[in-house]
Amino acid sequence: MNTHSTILLLFLSLAFIIAVVFITVYRSSKRKEETGGMINVNKKRLTFLLVLASLAIILLSVTLPDSPYYLYANETPSKVVFVGAQQFNFNMAYQAIDPKKPITEAIELPANKMVEFRVTSFDVNHDFAIYNDKAELIAQTQAMPGYVNMLRWKFYKPGTYNILCLEFCGVAHAVMRASFTVN
Amino acid sequence: MNNILKLKKITSAWILAILLLFVLAISFGITMRFNQANDIKLSPVTFYSLMTTHGVTMVGIWVVAGMMAVNYLLSRYVKVSNGLNLFAMALTVIGVVMLWLTTFVGHYHTGWTFLYPLPFYTAWEKWATPVFLLSLGVLGIGWFVWSVGMLWQILKRYSLPQAFAWQHFKKGHTVETPPFILITTVTLVGVIACLLTAVLLLILYFAEYFSKGTFTNDALLMKNLTYFFGHTIINEALYLGVATLYELLPEVSGRPKFKMTWYVAVAWNCTLLFVLTAFFHHLYMDFAQPQSFQIIGQVASYFASLPSASVTAFSVIVLIYKNPVKWSLTNLLFVVGVAGWLIGGIGAVIDATISNNFVLHNTLWVPAHFHTYNAMGNVLFSLAFFNWAAKDFQGIASPLRYDKTKIFWLMVGGFGFVLMFYIGGAYSIPRRYAEYPNEFTNAKLLASAGAWFAIIYLWAIIVILFNIVMKCIKMFSVSE
Ligand code: HEM
Ligand SMILES: [Cu+2]
Repeated sequence: MNTHSTILLLFLSLAFIIAVVFITVYRSSKRKEETGGMINVNKKRLTFLLVLASLAIILLSVTLPDSPYYLYANETPSKVVFVGAQQFNFNMAYQAIDPKKPITEAIELPANKMVEFRVTSFDVNHDFAIYNDKAELIAQTQAMPGYVNMLRWKFYKPGTYNILCLEFCGVAHAVMRASFTVN
Repeated sequence: MNNILKLKKITSAWILAILLLFVLAISFGITMRFNQANDIKLSPVTFYSLMTTHGVTMVGIWVVAGMMAVNYLLSRYVKVSNGLNLFAMALTVIGVVMLWLTTFVGHYHTGWTFLYPLPFYTAWEKWATPVFLLSLGVLGIGWFVWSVGMLWQILKRYSLPQAFAWQHFKKGHTVETPPFILITTVTLVGVIACLLTAVLLLILYFAEYFSKGTFTNDALLMKNLTYFFGHTIINEALYLGVATLYELLPEVSGRPKFKMTWYVAVAWNCTLLFVLTAFFHHLYMDFAQPQSFQIIGQVASYFASLPSASVTAFSVIVLIYKNPVKWSLTNLLFVVGVAGWLIGGIGAVIDATISNNFVLHNTLWVPAHFHTYNAMGNVLFSLAFFNWAAKDFQGIASPLRYDKTKIFWLMVGGFGFVLMFYIGGAYSIPRRYAEYPNEFTNAKLLASAGAWFAIIYLWAIIVILFNIVMKCIKMFSVSE
């Protein structure tokens, strides 16, 4: 199962639990006298909040180290790709790109080796999003004018990867794209 | 005319205006979704102008819906100014007219977040950019003055620590702060903070606009300011809705009023803090942003939802569970709204986890979760208020029939509509695409289904509105 299905499943299960709780509570509410909710309310509330707070702390400590900023931080990239996004295409090259004379090269990357993308924009905000051949979003970073975002990644599967723009950048946003190959 | 009658008339006018804009904005949304389904064919410019109009209008009306509801209920505790209320209404109308002119006549289409420097890359009428920014200024000034006015009135009756319920942190206090006052205070402070940021943002925009190229802004700073404003305003809109819930839900359910306790006091004071830093989660994919901000963003996002949402949910559940409750449309809307808020909140917390955001950011997961806590959360809080107020205006209850049926179809339409977005997000389908690339084989089908569910939602909304609208119209012929 890929990441996205796991996330959806997790979400749907939690949403289902909430629905069940609310339906149960609703159906219990037609009594003549008070028998439930408020009894021992302080203890219930404290338990509830403590459980949630500990859950939050556990989830934070598990997920934060997984953040993309720390990916392969201590390794040297086998290749560096420069990306200069502009309305409405991605310029990609193996050397730094001059915004006044943007060039774009065919990009081929090695499989199983770490590569680095240095992503910026020559006009408005864009987003450099890498999709695999099953149209699954696998990695992304924003392309912002005046800043360079460094994205490190390892491709395990050879093939064609598509770049789509994921930050609204104007009228042709939905057709702004590029691709590269991994072999 | 006495003050209360005047307030009722102003509130009726607000309700009518909001509902009119709501129905129109939903129709724009349905149109967009049908276009994404390829069932109809709009030019991309039309699509993105509609998207911009839909976004700003929706955010705007639910902010004012919360504000005017709080204003109405505040009159139970403190003196409120009808003049300020009217002033805010006038500026809101002017602002909305200006805004729609820029999008429909000027074809302005930056999306509601208008990320710098997109507004300066004019692919529309040249005048539209300054007028769009000005329209935000007009709305902002109206709401700013209104918020300050309400806060001022609260502080005339309660001292500052009392308005924040600080005396409840310790035992043995003499003054009780009603939960409604605490939540309203906390929320108004948040509203004021984000409107001040909006002013700064507009100043920076106009500085560049008039400098003719000698001054340019920093894109990262502008993005931080934009999201501080945008994230905060829509969250505060929700909290305004929650304030009305605290005030009205027990009352209409025939249950004892919510009492202030130390943990409600702590929860909402924490919320004020966290909600102001949670906006960092909009910049997770800007790797150039200082990493400490990213971490703060995730921690604040987790803890912002804990106190406010879970304390509210807990309070609502114990109020109802195994207790005698008088059900009506009003409290059904409130309770379904709490469930929608929680479900949307879970979608939000998942997305606010940096490692998930890496593969969810700006996919349909984003409109999925924010539509859940808006269309199935905050909107229902406001509709509950409208329904209650319409009755309160004349002191008569209309026969409540088919309430459960109405709610049922509202839920089918609303949750069906957002579910299509969630599935789209799980298929990595990008948001804000007028047209979907072919590799997303399910995208068009999901869009079409989403649009049809939204039609069910709209239909249920219209049925629910009908009674409210009739009563509000009648208000205008009432004299003393
Ligand atoms: C059933 C009613 C609604 C429908 C059919 C609808 C439809 C849509 C659609 C199709 C989009 C564009 C999604 C995309 O990015 O591809 C959208 C965006 C949006 N909607 Fe709604 N919506 C509804 C209700 C609401 C409500 C109640 C709010 C309240 C806040 C809201 C606020 C927004 C915002 C802020 C955006 C983002 C606009 C942008 O990207 O600039 N919508 N909506
Ligand atoms: Cu782009």
